Amino acid sequence: MTRYEQAAAGAVALMLVAAGFIFLFAPTDALQGPVQRIFYLHVSSAIAAYGCFGVVLIGGIGYLWKESAAADRLARAAALVGLVFTTVTLIMGMIWAKPIWNTFWTWDARLTSTLVLWIIYAGYLMVRRLAEPGRQAARFAAVVGIFGFIDVPVVHFSVTWWRTVHPGPVVINDALPPEMLIAFLITMACTLVLAAVMIAIRYRIEYLMDQAAERIVAAPIAAPSEAGSAR
Amino acid sequence: MTYLVVAYVFAIVVLGGYLAWSLRRVRELSRRQ
Repeated sequence: MTRYEQAAAGAVALMLVAAGFIFLFAPTDALQGPVQRIFYLHVSSAIAAYGCFGVVLIGGIGYLWKESAAADRLARAAALVGLVFTTVTLIMGMIWAKPIWNTFWTWDARLTSTLVLWIIYAGYLMVRRLAEPGRQAARFAAVVGIFGFIDVPVVHFSVTWWRTVHPGPVVINDALPPEMLIAFLITMACTLVLAAVMIAIRYRIEYLMDQAAERIVAAPIAAPSEAGSAR
Repeated sequence: MTYLVVAYVFAIVVLGGYLAWSLRRVRELSRRQ
């Protein structure tokens, strides 16, 4: 078992602990019933996505400042993981919305700004995939990653800045009973560990891919006589 | 209850699937090196 597999197994074990708190420890919501348990992973995934995009921001600044390949790799890794968590947040939110709001989607400020966040980082990854690898692509992506982060506080404060259907902050407003708060904090901590492990694994993939690309560039081109004899 | 199950099954498939896929990718790339 490699250290990445060990880390992944540890993160999965922590998520199982979180599942125990969500389904066995936290009480059932009196108003919404069992469906309210979606809250724990829905909000934790959103926070994990914010964290990932924060890492993209730091990686982008690091690249523009020092032209560090490691910073660029870190940004690339965190962008993909952040996109995965944003997808989970959006879809879980939509599934939760159906029985509560009687619709999967509404063009509410929180939902719309989260969708915009998803599009920004999907665009970031598309830039990385389509552009010729090199300094220009890394610089352009770093700028997209830095400016894209502007949407994170917009998503977070959308529920206080505008009138929305989406509920406001429940943790800061002390709106959760203690058992629900404990279950939420444990789920959030476990999800953040999972996100960190995912970033570390993705960073390794990016590193190995960069190494492979460098080997292709550095490979000696066959001499004309050798090429001729090969024909 | 159905919505709760669907939501968590989706999350497990996406997060678990991504984790498994990335571990496989690391193994493949490491072997190639």
